[in-house]
Amino acid sequence: MKFSIRNVLCRVLVVAMMMLPFQTGQAGMIGTDQATSAATAQADRNTVINLLSRAETARELQSLGLDSKTATDRLAAMTDDEVRALAGNINAVPAGADGLVLLILVVFFIWYFAFRR
Amino acid sequence: MPAPVTSYEGARLTAGAFVLLAALTGCASMVPQTMGLRDAWPAGVPDRVELGEVPFFPQRDYQCGPAALATTLAYSGVKVTPDDLVDQVYLPARQGSLQIEMLAAPRRYGIVSYPLAPRFDDLLREVAAGNPVIVLQDNGVGPISNWHYAVVAGFDYPAGELLLRSGETQRLAIPFTILEYTWKKGRYWAMVTLPPDRIPATATESGYLKAILAMARVVGNANAVTTAFRTFLNRWPENITASIALANMHYERGAIKEAEAVLRHAEVRHPDSVLVLNNLAQTVSDQGRNDEALAIIERAVGTQSLFTVAARETRDLILQRMEKGR
Repeated sequence: MKFSIRNVLCRVLVVAMMMLPFQTGQAGMIGTDQATSAATAQADRNTVINLLSRAETARELQSLGLDSKTATDRLAAMTDDEVRALAGNINAVPAGADGLVLLILVVFFIWYFAFRR
Repeated sequence: MPAPVTSYEGARLTAGAFVLLAALTGCASMVPQTMGLRDAWPAGVPDRVELGEVPFFPQRDYQCGPAALATTLAYSGVKVTPDDLVDQVYLPARQGSLQIEMLAAPRRYGIVSYPLAPRFDDLLREVAAGNPVIVLQDNGVGPISNWHYAVVAGFDYPAGELLLRSGETQRLAIPFTILEYTWKKGRYWAMVTLPPDRIPATATESGYLKAILAMARVVGNANAVTTAFRTFLNRWPENITASIALANMHYERGAIKEAEAVLRHAEVRHPDSVLVLNNLAQTVSDQGRNDEALAIIERAVGTQSLFTVAARETRDLILQRMEKGR
């Protein structure tokens, strides 16, 4: 139920952002974020996608055993590109885990004696 | 009749040699980069390096991610143990750590993480430059995957071995071929973590800028980010984004003179950049020199750029300030 509320919220946000005029003229220093995003309209659209991706990835991280605070903290350290790469994909990407070398022993010996470099 | 027998044996020998040759070329194509090193060893890289100072944290359970990361972070001067990192990179249900999280976690310590290009050359160059490299290996066979992070802390090419901190082994020597075979399946993924006053040996301008901007996202890093941009600009002084970012860091903590100095340097190199002119005019105006600021912003308002609107508004602000000052 919580998630469906979030979905509705996200949809409302999408519509709301689309109705925003793509105009960010403002006196003062131009921020680093603005300087790095190529076109303002595209940047605004990305903002929406990023919000959605973050919500989705946070949910996925929680389903993999993290509490909500930890998930949020970990997401905060990721860039938008990284979050987008992870969203919906979290079970497909490798998770480095084990130091077990037994399985490669067979291969190891073949290679070790065939050539080492 | 010995003759037919001989020819039969000859045929068998030929067949055997053919199979062996096929197997060997098959093997060779499985480790293309190791083969490549035989022909072209990266220039300027010694053939023996061992970073003996790289610490070792034996991994527990499935936690090679935290162990590998603690190894390079501790080497970069951060006081951290694998246990501290479990909450930041370990995913209980996956019993492992994701690559993206391995890259993200160091930023929380004011350390820049940099993903390497998928090349043996780059790995060797980083180790030779004194930077231990985290690699993602797949130690499984065939369809079974067994993902694992290890830290490359040296190599001995004449002996054909790389020296790893891996799992519960402090100094694991494995052949170049084995490392490539296991490393290839993760598309040669590797990363380094460096303190903000150093730049990875293989860093590219755009790649490293991205790495610093990623660190700048994390709050509480202001000093590290400032140092990182300053180091970056020493190497790549032409970069506008880094100049703007460094000036903004100074501006945000109220060091307006320093911000101006950075922007002045940028303005000399990029006299037509609306971005630079706008921010420079703002910092000059903030110091009460509105006539000078107006002269700078006038150069920006006539242009066609994304930031021209902002520049016009900055000019209006400066004109208002001049009115008030009268």
